[in-house]
Amino acid sequence: MNKHILGTFDEALNGLRNDVITMGSLTARSLNNASEGLFQRSEAHCKACIADDEEIDELEKQIDRDGVELMLRFTPVASDLRSVISAMKVSSNLERIGDLAVGIARRALKLNDHSPLEDLMALEPAFRASYELFKNAMLAFSEDDEVLSRGIKSRDKVIDALCKEFDSRLGEAMVRDPGHIRGYMHLLIMSRNVERIADHATNIAEDTVYAVAAEDIRHLVVE
Amino acid sequence: MTELEYTMKTETSPDIGQELTADQQLNPKFIEVINYSFFYSGKQALFDVNLNVPEKQITALIGPSGCGKTTLLRNFNRMNDLIDGIRHEGDIIVNGLSLYDPLLEVISLRKRIGMVFQKSNPFPKSIYENVVYALRVAGQNNKKVLDEVVEKSLSGAALWDEVKDRLNESALSLSGGQMQRLCIARAIANTPEILLMDEPCSALDPIATAKVEELMLDLKKEFTIVIVTHSMQQASRVSDQTAFFYLGRLIEFGETRQIFSRPREKQTEDYITGRFG
Repeated sequence: MNKHILGTFDEALNGLRNDVITMGSLTARSLNNASEGLFQRSEAHCKACIADDEEIDELEKQIDRDGVELMLRFTPVASDLRSVISAMKVSSNLERIGDLAVGIARRALKLNDHSPLEDLMALEPAFRASYELFKNAMLAFSEDDEVLSRGIKSRDKVIDALCKEFDSRLGEAMVRDPGHIRGYMHLLIMSRNVERIADHATNIAEDTVYAVAAEDIRHLVVE
Repeated sequence: MTELEYTMKTETSPDIGQELTADQQLNPKFIEVINYSFFYSGKQALFDVNLNVPEKQITALIGPSGCGKTTLLRNFNRMNDLIDGIRHEGDIIVNGLSLYDPLLEVISLRKRIGMVFQKSNPFPKSIYENVVYALRVAGQNNKKVLDEVVEKSLSGAALWDEVKDRLNESALSLSGGQMQRLCIARAIANTPEILLMDEPCSALDPIATAKVEELMLDLKKEFTIVIVTHSMQQASRVSDQTAFFYLGRLIEFGETRQIFSRPREKQTEDYITGRFG
């Protein structure tokens, strides 16, 4: 893309996008911490995930402020306007992913007070797939990669299926082992969080397609 | 085309404030620019432009300085005729009639196509006399008729309430925004079919600009408006169609919403996002 006639505009837009990418890195770290906390039963990782959330929240507010200021100062149009809007929407999705990671970490702390549940590790494939989807969505955002973004939508279905399979497994476990029903309920909600993380990753990919190709692919049915 | 036919057309133009009825079909090619090229003493300013301006809509012409947008606007009422050495190729058809018809009288044409300039240019006369100037030149001196035209035109230009008690004061005593609206009133006093506006708000403050823009949205119910503007925001706020010109060529023409959200041409995108050069 050619340089803007106002160098300060390019600077402001790049700054905004860089903040979103930084927020994405912090969110990835939170997800890693939540994963370690849950599957390695690490209290320290759970607490780190919870503590990092404040920084993610602050970045979201800053990105909103900077995005609004950028629109006020430069009144961008066309691809520039879409870039600003998509950056702000991506940051909102990152904040939600951060909250979902914290939700998993908090429940992991509770689970870690008891002996490990037999079915816990069965959630890992869905968690890993959801994390990879998120990483790819952020990569596509940072590189304006329309093709990678479009592919993410269909991959979300795979995670939905993995989570559904896990939920059925939990249903059977609850019947088989009613003494640990509270623990299984935590796992059920964590499975829901994993599925929602993939949904937000999909939103990020959709926002990238909007920014790059001016096309709204939300709510389109994907085979 | 005779003077009589033009005059009849003018007289049958709808009154200011009159709403369109459902059975009145708007012409999507009210102004047709066909393979139009224009030259100033051998220097080509417009290259093979093709453009259809729809009736009773606002069409914005945008582009960097020297792109030919003002040249085209001024050719819509043949104002460039006064310049030595000009020539054109192609044609401009207004409501089915060629601007270059040998029988066309330019004075009659300018009754049909009013123009508002970048800098307001009221005559050093009273507000009243400014509005009725063209009618007096045409021989109309009936006070009742002139009074009606003044009220209708000033109301149409959203100025009546501000000046109705001082119509005999000098037009030069008005503020910049009021002067520009007076010029619009003067232009619509002739009940033209088309209003051409050459950067009408470039010398106005934001409040006066907002008033003129609101006025334009009101006036398009009765007139076809073509505006040249350097303000992207103004083009996106008021116009229905936008044409982007660069180096004398029409690069892209389409609905304003499409041009400013998803332009088809890279040159358009670069210009409206400020990445030109």
